[in-house]
Amino acid sequence: MLTLNHFLILGAILFCIGLFGAISKRNAIAVLMGIEIMLNAVNITMVGFSFFNKVKPYSTYLTGQIFAIFIITVAAAEAAVALAMIIAIYRKRNTVDVGEINLMKW
Amino acid sequence: MGLYQYSWLILFSPLFSFVVIIFGTRMWDLATRRQVNATASAGDHAHAHSEGEGDENTHYIETTGPHGEHEVLEDDEDPKVPRLTLGAKMSGYVSILIVALACIYSWIILFNQTGLISIAPRMPTSGIQVLAYDWLSGSQGTPPYTIAYHLDNLGIAMMVVVTTVSLLVQFYSQGYMENSAGYARFFSYLSLFTFSMLDIVFAQNFLVIFIGWELVGLSSYLLIGFWINKTAKPEQDRPAPATAAIQAFIANRVGDVGFIIGIMILFTNTGTFDFATLSSPTDPHGVAHVFAGNTGLLTLAMILVFCGAIGKSAQIPLTIWLPTAMEGPTPVSALIHAATMVAAGVYMVARTFPLFSAADPLALQVVAWVGAITALYAALTALTQTDFKRVLAFSTISQLGYMFVGLGVAYHTDIGVGAGMFHLFTHAFFKALLFLGAGSVIHSLHHATHQEVQDMRKMGGLGPHMPITAITWLIATLAISGFPFFSGFYSKDNIIGLTFEHGDYGLYIITLGTAGLTAFYMLRAFILAFGGKGGRFGGLWGGPYRGEGDPHESPRTITIPLIILAIASIFAGYWTGFFGFVQPGAPSLNIGTVLSDPLTWIGVLVSFIGLGWAFVLYTRFDLATINNVVQNNAVLRFLYYLTLRKFYIDDLYDLLIRYVVFGVCHIAAAFDTYVVDGIVNGVAAAVTDFGRGVRHIETGKVQTYMVGFFGGVAILAILVFALVTFVK
Amino acid sequence: MIDLPTLLFWIVAIILVGSALLVVGMRNIVHSALSLVVLFAMAAGIYLLANAEFIAIVQILIYAGAVTILILFALMLTRTPNLRTNSNPTNRQWLAALLICAILAASIIFAISLGQYSTAHPGTGFSFGPYGTNACPLPPNNVAYIGQLLYSPTCYSYVLPFEIASVVLLVAIVGAIVIGREE
Repeated sequence: MLTLNHFLILGAILFCIGLFGAISKRNAIAVLMGIEIMLNAVNITMVGFSFFNKVKPYSTYLTGQIFAIFIITVAAAEAAVALAMIIAIYRKRNTVDVGEINLMKW
Repeated sequence: MGLYQYSWLILFSPLFSFVVIIFGTRMWDLATRRQVNATASAGDHAHAHSEGEGDENTHYIETTGPHGEHEVLEDDEDPKVPRLTLGAKMSGYVSILIVALACIYSWIILFNQTGLISIAPRMPTSGIQVLAYDWLSGSQGTPPYTIAYHLDNLGIAMMVVVTTVSLLVQFYSQGYMENSAGYARFFSYLSLFTFSMLDIVFAQNFLVIFIGWELVGLSSYLLIGFWINKTAKPEQDRPAPATAAIQAFIANRVGDVGFIIGIMILFTNTGTFDFATLSSPTDPHGVAHVFAGNTGLLTLAMILVFCGAIGKSAQIPLTIWLPTAMEGPTPVSALIHAATMVAAGVYMVARTFPLFSAADPLALQVVAWVGAITALYAALTALTQTDFKRVLAFSTISQLGYMFVGLGVAYHTDIGVGAGMFHLFTHAFFKALLFLGAGSVIHSLHHATHQEVQDMRKMGGLGPHMPITAITWLIATLAISGFPFFSGFYSKDNIIGLTFEHGDYGLYIITLGTAGLTAFYMLRAFILAFGGKGGRFGGLWGGPYRGEGDPHESPRTITIPLIILAIASIFAGYWTGFFGFVQPGAPSLNIGTVLSDPLTWIGVLVSFIGLGWAFVLYTRFDLATINNVVQNNAVLRFLYYLTLRKFYIDDLYDLLIRYVVFGVCHIAAAFDTYVVDGIVNGVAAAVTDFGRGVRHIETGKVQTYMVGFFGGVAILAILVFALVTFVK
Repeated sequence: MIDLPTLLFWIVAIILVGSALLVVGMRNIVHSALSLVVLFAMAAGIYLLANAEFIAIVQILIYAGAVTILILFALMLTRTPNLRTNSNPTNRQWLAALLICAILAASIIFAISLGQYSTAHPGTGFSFGPYGTNACPLPPNNVAYIGQLLYSPTCYSYVLPFEIASVVLLVAIVGAIVIGREE
């Protein structure tokens, strides 16, 4: 029997894998990929909630899916802008190593 | 009663004179003073500065006088002006006039009180209150902090002494301080001193007497250090006057510590400062009542109060400041360190004598023995001193010791404060005379040699050159030695007799021996200065002059006070009713009894031995011979150096201060630098180092911050887990 | 006995998690990107299992299509040295990150296991006209339903967030162009 817990636990595991990637990768694009994994994990969770929704008013039946749409939208926009920034930084510094981007260091 | 009621005018008139001089005539003097420029004179003087002969510290200033004549002035570190301005002279006249009026008023009061004249009804012997002002009121309705002045017989006697000597000294200073640039300042300080001393005399409670106490200390400081620019002369063992002034003030302060503690003990136990209340045997706040079973504490308090007198009157162990205070001008030495300020200690003990009587006999025993030991010590030290004024300084210390002995042996006797105060009374006159005479000698030798000459080895045979000075000095010497029928004979031998009657045979031997020593060194000083081998009267008058130049007699402003004081030195001893005047119920001085008492003649014999030995030694042999004998004999040489170096007390104190006091200072300074500053700076350094360490958190890398962020989340998650499982 | 949806779910989930691990773990970054594609595809599979067909298609279109190409273009334009051997290194705090992620995962799973899901009626709420009327017909399928929820002027809809999302996209376009252009 498929229950809500399946979706949620899957989302949690994916989120944490994505977090690991975002924290511990040196390549900026790898960090971005980690963030995409996190966003996808959240989407799975949202869709899972909408699938097991027992709340009465009809209008709230698909709230999770609407939420997922908007998350996809914003994720795409953010990926575009982030990659543009990475390319710009690469042109300036000739590196995509996020460890090198530390102008705010003490 | 009106005559006595207005005696506060005597008290405040010198203060008024001080204010007038400082804010009025001295300002006038400074504004109108002609600039004496040592480097630029009018036109034709190519040089304005030439070396004096002999002493490198003497300079001449060549300048032009007001009529264009060429003048040569000495500038012996006391800046001179060629002519005193009118403002300066007015300062002198104002001060002298006011003190003269006060003196006349005080003599009128004295004569009225003793009955010689009768212009007003006499006041009761317990005195009247002259002025009172509540400074702070206590909470129980009894105001303990009152500025109160009163006048009684003891006060009258002291007031007469103070105003008379002050007047004579100020008159004398006109001549001594002539052409000094600080003339007006000198007279203002003298007025301030007179006010302070009268404040002590008129004081009715401990607070007021303490105010006066400190003010005379201040005036003494200002007056000793009057010659601001004068430097030290270590080859003559003479410090700078500024240093001597500080030493005087600090030694006084050391005594004052005991004084304050004594006053505080009395106040906390009785709740009052007032002398009359404390002394009365019936008042519930009096010491007789409060310390009824516990005289030990009262004795301690009175011994501490005596410590203040030790400091002020230069007794053992605080004798150090009086010889170095001789660096001040001689009128200052005469006024302050002979007649009045140092007598303030004696006066204070006399004033609080009922408190001493109510305590254990131990308190007065301490007073007497400190006085006796000091008298002996000072007399021994004076035997070998070569500085003219130093001999007189030690003589003062010795005579003050006598006064304290006189007060100390009067425990529960009829005579009370009479003996000590009588010696104070006569001593003021002949000691002032001795100092003013010394000043006259120094003044005329200064004119003769253009240097400051105080060493007796450079004097000699001055009798014929300065007859008035010499004769008055001889009168004072005989008075202080206790020569029959001079004033010192009556007062000093009275004290020696009292010690015998009281049964203190130790004190008797000491005071008797000291009398002999006193006679010896005083006549020694006289012969070394005014006489010499080969003079008239067996070497007493005239003889070889060992100095330079041609000394002559001093001007009239200097010699008139000498003559007046000489008359007083002879006749002051004949006031036989003095004892009864200051201490009600004391027996009068009966001259017949005195002359028939064998003890008196023993004392006279001892002082004759002293006089005779000095006469023989110093008129037969010259100084070089005596010196040879002393240096060749080991024992004599040891004794000579012992007494010359004042029994090494100065050196002991120097070591004490350098190693103990400054050692503690260095420890405290180190504590301040390392502990206190260490803590303050350490806190700052800790903050800085902490910051320097903490800033490494800001790496500039986002991933580091994410670790912090999510790490916190993880920790909170663990916390929630723990709470959820274990706290239901 | 395991039923079909559950079985399919498990298969897709395992591939999903495996590809996620590959994304994070591969040394060659292009391999990571390719693994990311698999991840997106499997996520679409999950959506299908949850009756969210529209979301699944949109996932494939946007993520597996556009975002992947974007990432590959970025990889091309930012040539890293040692492409094959170590173009995707880890930094010094990987151990701390591992710990944190493990603890986080454990705690979220723990919280999930504690959870009791509310089935209560949230109240009457409001509706912009009841469903089943002419103004608001019942949607026949998922796409129409989402369309209704996004655009409908007469029923309850999320029109305003939709408009704002379009503004966000516009801003993102302009921003990406401005940031990424050659000087």
